[in-house]
Order: sequence, then structure tokens, then C-alpha cells
Amino acid sequence: MRFTPSPEQRQFAASLHDLLSGADTPGAVRAWAEGRPEPGLKLWRDLADLGVTALRVPEECDGLGAGLTDLVIAFEVLGYHAVPGPLAESVAVAPALLGDGERLRALAAGRLLATVALPPHVPYALDADVAGLVLLVENGAVYRGEPETEPVRSVDAARRLFRVAGTGGALGATDGSAFEAGVLAVAAELLGAGQRLLDEAAAYARQRHQYGRPIGSYQALKHLLADVVTRLELARPLVHGAAVTATARDVSAAKAAAGEAAYLAARAALQVHGAIGYTAEHHLGLWLTRVRALTGAWGGGAYHRARVLAGA
Amino acid sequence: MTNIVVLVKQVPDTYSERKLSESDHTLDRESADAVIDEINERSVEEALKIKEAGEGEVTVLCVGPDRATDAIRKALSMGADKAIHVSDESLHGSDMLATAKVLAAAIGKVEGVDLVIAGNEASDGRGGAVPAMLAELLGLPQLTHVRQLTVEGGSVKADRETEEGITHLEANLPAIVSVTEKINEPRYPSFKGIMAAKKKPVETLTVADLGVDSGEVGLGNAWSTVLEASPKPPRTAGERVEDDGDGGTKVAEYLVAQKLI
Repeated sequence: MRFTPSPEQRQFAASLHDLLSGADTPGAVRAWAEGRPEPGLKLWRDLADLGVTALRVPEECDGLGAGLTDLVIAFEVLGYHAVPGPLAESVAVAPALLGDGERLRALAAGRLLATVALPPHVPYALDADVAGLVLLVENGAVYRGEPETEPVRSVDAARRLFRVAGTGGALGATDGSAFEAGVLAVAAELLGAGQRLLDEAAAYARQRHQYGRPIGSYQALKHLLADVVTRLELARPLVHGAAVTATARDVSAAKAAAGEAAYLAARAALQVHGAIGYTAEHHLGLWLTRVRALTGAWGGGAYHRARVLAGA
Repeated sequence: MTNIVVLVKQVPDTYSERKLSESDHTLDRESADAVIDEINERSVEEALKIKEAGEGEVTVLCVGPDRATDAIRKALSMGADKAIHVSDESLHGSDMLATAKVLAAAIGKVEGVDLVIAGNEASDGRGGAVPAMLAELLGLPQLTHVRQLTVEGGSVKADRETEEGITHLEANLPAIVSVTEKINEPRYPSFKGIMAAKKKPVETLTVADLGVDSGEVGLGNAWSTVLEASPKPPRTAGERVEDDGDGGTKVAEYLVAQKLI
């Protein structure tokens, strides 16, 4: 099994990182949460130019036909920057649900954002008010979804969740692979978010002084952050490995491990930052709430651990 | 069809600590992350814009050690068509004149060059003279410090910006242009571009392949020598004025004493 990122994949990740570092991504996340999606949509258009939205669209529909390994590379960076919007839904899942060339072309070009609800593990459709296409998957059949007008509150204000009802006849059928792709994408996003929380905490620990020295020089903080590094390092090969095998068991192991590592990173980062980390003005909260939301989304830890045990 | 050569240099990342090696005072390339010089990303972008506006081919030319392939790869993934990499141990420590001679010889290997685009200066050496030297060696018009560029038929128009002001220049092709950081915002390599770059041809040449005499290049043949190098001394602490209600007066007195007001 080879899951070491290729030089090209590293270059793609660097390119995405440069783009998102240069743009005001935190500003776009905050605007998105306030119901002003325009800065976030601009970010999506830029990401589409680099090929993110076309990754899983087949080449005959102007897509890139890229593999799951390319997908997780991209999603780690997207999570690192807390990019708003229905990422897993539109980039990882929708291309696997749609057979219609016209819609696939629109998805690839970034002209169409799609979202999807897959009850029971994905009961609500994320950002259905912004998405041009809302889908509902029930018992293996794909329907057009009709979202309610009022969103359901998420712990992450930038995740606008909507109840959906299916309308009309089935558009097509799907096996479990679309769900697995979504779980894997979210696992990679969690890994990236966890890494960002660690980086933010480590930077703050070097900068913040107490009793005349940086707080990062105290052993209690070093140990706290070293534990986070270890957990993230152990989760990463599971995520990259699951992208190679794509089996339900490996995908579940990846999601469970990435979720736990990112959640530990969130708790440690908040503790290292102290009270400033709780304030709404500080950017840390964008990742704290994102990690909490994604840990439970697309199946929580208990569900995924049970799948790992069942497949053993 | 516009045939463009873009000069690309790999430099130590400006965000990392840059130093000279202790043995021969040449650039210590191992101590810092190597990246394509940012101004060259803009040079490539400008070449790609000209190509996309009409028809053309963009060749990347780089003189540098083996690891400079990363810088070339980035230019190719942005959309350049092919590359020439001049890599030779004997080039270590070459001065600007020797570099310009090698570049001129390498440009001669590309058929029918219409335009050579360079950055105005590299972020490591900061000599800023290579484009002018190339123009002299190749006998071509030079348009330096360009912040806006248009190619029309057989001529090139440029806005040259310096501290003195803006000059509007025009020259017949072929010509040499060096650009400033105001020229454009470079694109980020896309997934497609990165994958396509894998298959693009990179020709690796030595000094001998170019017909340049190895007695003209390298540290031993440089026209100037670095005798000594030391880091910039840290800034001194300066004078602190305590404000006991008369802070403004004290600051004014200090400035008067320094003959600043």
C-alpha cells in the first residue's frame, strides 16, 4: 500500500495553501455565518480555478478524474483554512451521485454547488440555502431535496443546516461509496483543522509570556501539545491509507482517529490560549466549533468505532 | 506567434535566514528553503498572458544547481511549455557577467526568440544588472523596470517605472524586458497544470554544451571577490523619553539637539 503523497500532490497542497493564505479566509467564514456567502463563494471560484471542484468529476465531463488520495490531500488544506461551504457534499459526494453530464460539468467548473442529506448519519443538508442543487439519499435512491426555509442551528455558526424532504421520482441509485467518500473527506478536513489548532497553539505558546518567559517553555504546555502532535501523526496515515483502500472499515478508522485527534487539538489549543481563545473576535473559535461539528457529522465516533469492530 | 524565454532563478526563501558559506563566501544554498524567486513568478505570468492573448510558446531558462528543478517545475506547472536548465559544477560562484554570458548562450539555443522576460533583480544577490548585460551581449533593446507591457505586431510597448517617474518605451522585437513587482499578480498552479508539468520537456545543458569557455565562469574567474562578510549589526536601543507631563517638550528638545527640527 503506497500512500506517501507524490511530489505533484505536495505541490497541489502548497498551491491551495498559498491561495487560501493570501485570501481573507477567516473573514469569508465569518461572513458565511452571518448569511453573506459572497466572499466565501469568491473563494470557491478561486478553488475551482485550481481544480478542487473538478477533482472527482470524470474526465469525459470536463473533470479531473482524480483519486481519493488527491481528494484527502486537498481536504486537509481546506480544513486547515476552515473554508466555508458544503465541501464534502459538493466535491466528494455529489459527483458520485449524479449521472447527468450537464450538472457534472457545472459542478466541475464551480458554477454549481451541491449539497446532500444522507439520513440517518447526515440528517440535514449543509448550506442548502446557498447550494444550487439539494439532494437527498434514502435507501440507496437519490432524490431532489426540498429544503425548509429556516436553518437548524449548528454549534459551528458557519455550518447552516437544513431539513430536507424528497420531491419527485428517484434521479438515480447509489451504493455506499458516495457516503464513504464524504466520511473520508470530512476525516481529512478534521485532520487539517487539528493541525491548524496545533500550529495556532504552538505559535501562541511561543509568543505569550508569563513570569518573564514564554508559556511554551513550561513543561505542562509542552506535554499537552506533544500529545496532540502524537495523535495527529497517528491519525494521518489512517486517513491517507483509507484513501488507498476505500474500505468501509478503513474509512471509519480514519474518521474516528481524525475526529479524536482534532478534538484533543481543539481542547488543548483552547487551554493554551486561555480566555482569549473563548472570545468571538479571536479566530481560534472558527476551528474550535468546526471540529466539534465535524466530529459528530457523517457518523460520530461511536458509530465509526462500531464499524471498525464489526469489520475486524 | 510570440516566442518567449523567461529567466527563472531559484533563491533562498526570503522568510528563512539567509547566509554566505564560511569557506568561499558564496551563497549557502543548503541552509535555507529554496524557492522560485517571486519576481520570476510574475515574469512567467506576464509571458503566459502574452501567450494566451495570441499565440506563442513560453520557454523557461534557469541557471542553477540540480535542485533548481523545483523552481523550473513550478514555472512549468503555472503553464510554461518547456524548459532549459543549465547545470554545471563549474558555474559555482559565477558573477553576474559570467551568468549573463551563459544565459546569452542558452538563449541562442532557442530558435526565433521574440521576447526575453526577466525579473528586475533577484531577491538574493540584488545586482539587478543581468538583464542589461544580456541586452548588451545579444545586441537587443532593453526595457527595464517595466510595470506594464503590451506586445503589438513586431513591437513591444512598456511603462518603465523608477523613482524619478514613469517613462513610456517602445522597441522592435526581439527585445529584453525586466519586470517589477507591480506588473501583475501571478496565478497559482492548478491540479491540471501540475500534472501536465510532469510531461513537459526539460533540456539539461552543461557549460560545454553551450560552447562557453569554462575559463570565463565560476568563482575563480569572477571579476570581484568577497573578502569578508558579517551579519548586519543589531539595531541600537535608542533613547527612551519618560513622560512626566513634559514628554512632548523632551521629544522636541531631543529632535532639536539632533538638528532634525
